[in-house]
Amino acid sequence: MSASDAGQADSSFRNALLAPTLAVTSFQLGRLLSRQRLLLAALGVIFPAAVMLAVRRTAAEGLDRDLAVTMIYALVPEAVCMLGLLVTMCPAVADELERGTWIHIAVRPGGRRALLLGTYLAAVIWTSIVAILAAILAVVVARVPQPLPLIGMLAVLVVLSTLGRAALFSLPAVILPKRALVASVAVALVVEYLAGFIPAVVNQATVSLRLRSLLVEWMGWRQKLPVEMQLLIDPQPAWVQIAAVICLAAVLLAAAVKILDFRQFPPSVEI
Amino acid sequence: MLALTHVTKVFGSVIGVNDVTVELGAGAHGLLGPNGAGKTTLLGLITGQLRPTMGQVRVFGERPFANPRVLRRIGFCPAADLLERRATPREWVRYLVRLSGFRRDAAAERADRELDRVGLGEAMDRPLSTLSKGMRQRAKLAGAMAHDPDLLVLDEPFDGLDPVARHDLVGLVRHWAESADTAEVPRTLIVASHLLHEVEALQAGLAVILGGRLVASGTAGEIRDMVDAMPSEIRIRCDAPRRLAEAVCSTAGAESMRFEGDDLLVVATRQPRELAERIAHVAVEERLAIREVAAGDRSLEGIFGRLVRLHRGVGS
Repeated sequence: MSASDAGQADSSFRNALLAPTLAVTSFQLGRLLSRQRLLLAALGVIFPAAVMLAVRRTAAEGLDRDLAVTMIYALVPEAVCMLGLLVTMCPAVADELERGTWIHIAVRPGGRRALLLGTYLAAVIWTSIVAILAAILAVVVARVPQPLPLIGMLAVLVVLSTLGRAALFSLPAVILPKRALVASVAVALVVEYLAGFIPAVVNQATVSLRLRSLLVEWMGWRQKLPVEMQLLIDPQPAWVQIAAVICLAAVLLAAAVKILDFRQFPPSVEI
Repeated sequence: MLALTHVTKVFGSVIGVNDVTVELGAGAHGLLGPNGAGKTTLLGLITGQLRPTMGQVRVFGERPFANPRVLRRIGFCPAADLLERRATPREWVRYLVRLSGFRRDAAAERADRELDRVGLGEAMDRPLSTLSKGMRQRAKLAGAMAHDPDLLVLDEPFDGLDPVARHDLVGLVRHWAESADTAEVPRTLIVASHLLHEVEALQAGLAVILGGRLVASGTAGEIRDMVDAMPSEIRIRCDAPRRLAEAVCSTAGAESMRFEGDDLLVVATRQPRELAERIAHVAVEERLAIREVAAGDRSLEGIFGRLVRLHRGVGS
């Protein structure tokens, strides 16, 4: 076998990490096209719109724009993204262990890292698509005035939400693969919805603070907010919030990759 | 090529591998042992999936655990069945080859060629869930071999296969092992199995593992010689085995005896010829009806069985 006829594996960044990561992403996206997952996606798309439709019908004088935006924010970048990532990111390692594919992947030179990073990308892409479709449908159903800029803003919030939270869920996925779902729900509640609402340094390391702050900034609500509510947002400019989410995701992912590098799964058939 | 020095692997309170020291060079090697003996743990250590609790593992002169340089040169076919359902063998093997660092087009070419070689050319576009276990086993094998490894490790590769599939795959693996002699880089094949005839068919060197310990290693002939140095068993079926035992126990050569059922006496001895002569005398003197005198099983299966019994402290 010569180097030219079928290519040689080499240790360049492209071949050692990037190509395997993209291979995992494409393989995982293929798995997410199963009937069951597509049904879940459809539910994720329809659910916020159904809620907005019900609310709109009960509001006699039409739905207030700010209230509608707040509700869609809570339903889509928060709820739909969280649920989507619980389905796609949490079982990153557990699924492979169950299918008996973990060992095939882990014995490849960049297999462990590619598995985590590729699954992360697939989770971000799948969840973002579902959540953006959900946001569009919800905005249309709620008949919010000036829908296009709102959809654009929600799309950015969705992508940031999935980037940050998929990285957050990658830790339980590698530390407690068989309890990843329960651990991720606990992490989401404790980190995102408890620590994230504590007006102290601790909330700086949460995605929820950054997303709330961006929402307030881009909707121009800062002046309208009562003083006590202003404690729950970060006054820094939008680019700082975006950079913070990206940095947080990078740190969490790096930690998860390092942990997975050294994880050992005993052969259960032997012990 | 591969060296383990006083390697021990402990999982909590369970010892997976216990103080194993072995060196394996290029060529084919069989790792034999009953289920639960520690074969998969040993292979996990060799393929860099597990880190030894004590001792040192070296593959191609380096530690394999989390070492991409070593992993790039290893092909591994695990024992567990592949439960990936939606993917086809073609998609699955391409995926694995890409994970080994090959470009998309190179991965496609290698995967197709290897699937053809293992006999899945016709079925490579059917979902894995619709394939028989033998076909999935072939797909696993193709995945392990498609990136052209220097060390191929197969864990129970023929388990659960029908005789035809087993024969085909033994031939395939033997061909890989034989081509190791002509490869540019010396190649090594390790096949773990609890079935001796499979390993014998590969004409491989043997290492026998029991209870996490390596109890014997060498060629089949060397292991037979080693076993020859141990007492061999003579099985005598007669109408009064206890009377025979009483007469034979005074013989210097008899090292141990046991009864099996009402009519079978098993005697361990290093002097089987002398013992046989003594039995003949006793039979005449005591008027015993000897129905059968048989030497212990000389096949590799028999040797393996004896090693297992010796390890468990039976019949030694």
